[in-house]
Amino acid sequence: MAQDVQLSDADLEKVRALLNANYNPQDHQEAQELILGALQEVQHLFGWVPFEAARLIAEHLGVSENLIYGLLTFYADFRTEPPGNHFMLLCHGTACYVGGSQRLIDTLRDRYGIGADETTADGELTVQIVNGCLGVCDCAPLIHLDHVYHGNLTVESFVEAIENAKRNGPARRDHAAH
Amino acid sequence: MRLTNRREFEQLAESAREKFAALGTGGRWSISVGMSECSFAKGARETWDHFRLQLERAGIQHDLRQVGCGGWCWAEPYVIVSGPSHPAVLYGNITADQVPDIVRAIEQGAISREHAVGIFGDADYDGIPSIHSDPFFARQHRVLLADAGVIDPTSIEEYIANGGYSAWIKALFEMTPEQLIDEVKTSNIRGRGGAGFPAGIKWESGRQARATPKYVACNSHEGEPNVYKDRRLIESSPHMVLEGIMIACVAVGSQRGYNYIGGEHMLAVARFKHAVQQAYEYGLLGENILGSGITCHIRTRTGGGAYICGEGSALMYSVMGERGQPRTKPPRSVEEGLWRRPTVLNNTETLAAVPAIIRNGGAWYAGLGVPKSTGTKLITFQGPLKRLGVVEVEMGISLRDLIFDVYGGMAEGRTFKGVQTGGVSAGALVESQLDVPVDFDSLTPLGGMLGSGGFVVFDERVCAVEFARYLMAFNRYESCSKCTPCRLGNPALVEIVDRIRLGRASMSDLKLIERTSKHVIELSLCGLGQVAPMPLLGMMQAFPEEFAEHIERHHCRAGVCPVGQQVLEPVAAD
Repeated sequence: MAQDVQLSDADLEKVRALLNANYNPQDHQEAQELILGALQEVQHLFGWVPFEAARLIAEHLGVSENLIYGLLTFYADFRTEPPGNHFMLLCHGTACYVGGSQRLIDTLRDRYGIGADETTADGELTVQIVNGCLGVCDCAPLIHLDHVYHGNLTVESFVEAIENAKRNGPARRDHAAH
Repeated sequence: MRLTNRREFEQLAESAREKFAALGTGGRWSISVGMSECSFAKGARETWDHFRLQLERAGIQHDLRQVGCGGWCWAEPYVIVSGPSHPAVLYGNITADQVPDIVRAIEQGAISREHAVGIFGDADYDGIPSIHSDPFFARQHRVLLADAGVIDPTSIEEYIANGGYSAWIKALFEMTPEQLIDEVKTSNIRGRGGAGFPAGIKWESGRQARATPKYVACNSHEGEPNVYKDRRLIESSPHMVLEGIMIACVAVGSQRGYNYIGGEHMLAVARFKHAVQQAYEYGLLGENILGSGITCHIRTRTGGGAYICGEGSALMYSVMGERGQPRTKPPRSVEEGLWRRPTVLNNTETLAAVPAIIRNGGAWYAGLGVPKSTGTKLITFQGPLKRLGVVEVEMGISLRDLIFDVYGGMAEGRTFKGVQTGGVSAGALVESQLDVPVDFDSLTPLGGMLGSGGFVVFDERVCAVEFARYLMAFNRYESCSKCTPCRLGNPALVEIVDRIRLGRASMSDLKLIERTSKHVIELSLCGLGQVAPMPLLGMMQAFPEEFAEHIERHHCRAGVCPVGQQVLEPVAAD
């Protein structure tokens, strides 16, 4: 986990408020059940799960930090590094594959120098390749960029969507939530 | 509004029915926009906004409603308009710029022919055909999807108006748990997640298990890369799934049910949570429900994007806040599941069928489909077909009818090459095998599988070898790495396929694939590992000539493999 990124006091307060409002288990069983949900909500809030937020969750639910680290590294959806200005889910489900999503992945590698779960060197774009499926298969191949779907992509329209997003300036951070 | 007894429920149902029947009558227009994740992708939110403004500006008396996904993804964003001067009509592909056309038609009391897909009813009207003259609708038998695209998924009253929760009332007041189990056993419904285990027998084992408390869990994880039936079902009829879980709780003798939904299906999670909250508010969940003395609580839990969590034991570890890694069985989960207590785990689709089975009787359900695979099945198709979407058909329909009739055949200029069955867990079938009936048992001998009902059609642009690599790479990535054959065998298989793609393989590599696969299949612990090499083996069986071409002639028909780009010495297999 990126320990050098510090959360501001205001951000920490947001996490505490969220935990106090929605995460009040009756017993240890329920506390265990709530961990994944709490991590997801934190990720929605910041676009990733900062170390200090994970520690707050551990304290609040009475579980160990190690256990939380184990979850963050097991479940593919969690990010432990802050994402770039723009966040893209690239669907690589079977329908998108048949529609040519491999060419989009190749384009990311060749043109932007990034692969799965990586951020471009200029911090502009983070991509998460979704192995499962976004479930909008009739628009394959498809991406979800800054909360907007772009479907029936060719390599050209794919690059255009990325460049347009970059020109429009940084997206809201919670757009990286997934 | 908290209901406290059965009579209050009946009264509510009566008034809900009247209210629902009044939609689109009395001089008011009813405009229903399909709002689900798939239609958002095509701009349904904008369509909705434009309708809201333009209907108001035109001064039309109307109810603008949101409904779920009807399954006709090819027509999204879609709108159903009914009103004083004509029956309900389904309009397709209504993006924001088409909205003025529809609003103008409403003003004139006419139907916009240009956008009409069909009349939403049995009879033709004014030269516009009924949707039932279209094979996409006519060949469906909608039980689970009966309310999809019809009711507002966020309204418990609209669900009740259409017969919702009447099975729950039966379970509370009229039937014993044993009778509930008997009905499900009579229906002979088999597990819709893919394994096909009879649900009634599972319920019975759950009921007979001695340890308490017991739990019911619904598997709505749906992490497979070509299946989206469960999330569309939850987005469209969350209460139907919920009612099924609640009935299972009573039948098994459990006071708590869980629904485990993939965390990435955010709209499905939100709509299901909303449904649970409504059921509590109406007094249909909680303690001493409607004075029956029965207690039932439902919790929603979400996963984090790990395919393996769709496996039973892994799912339970994930609910319990652990890493989702399967364990050895026995004990089976009906003996030791959540919190080491008896747990009955069913797929979303299985549980969603339960309210209809209890309402209409198990014998009615058993009369649908074919004897060994009763009932209806949700099917999703992807690939270069004319139409795409979710359909609900009776078991036993042939693959050919599905592809070339229901889904309208291949898209313009594309030729059928094969169809991948069983998600990522089975092989592909070719044209000559398409007359096989779609049910639990018929596809398996051909190397295919029904699985959860996800099929992918592909054409000549797809290379069989690269496709096999894609499917193998998926299983390699999603392996939880707990046991060695799966952790090391799958990467080894991907490497061998890569060798073929690069033109560096020899024919003996095909033997090596078979041998390695045997180890992975026989020695892996859970369902993922035991079927992981199946798509590769299936692809080799369906398209042996393409594998041979890559190896011997360094030729890729689809022109996508880097085979033959560089001359390299063949690498010995052993």
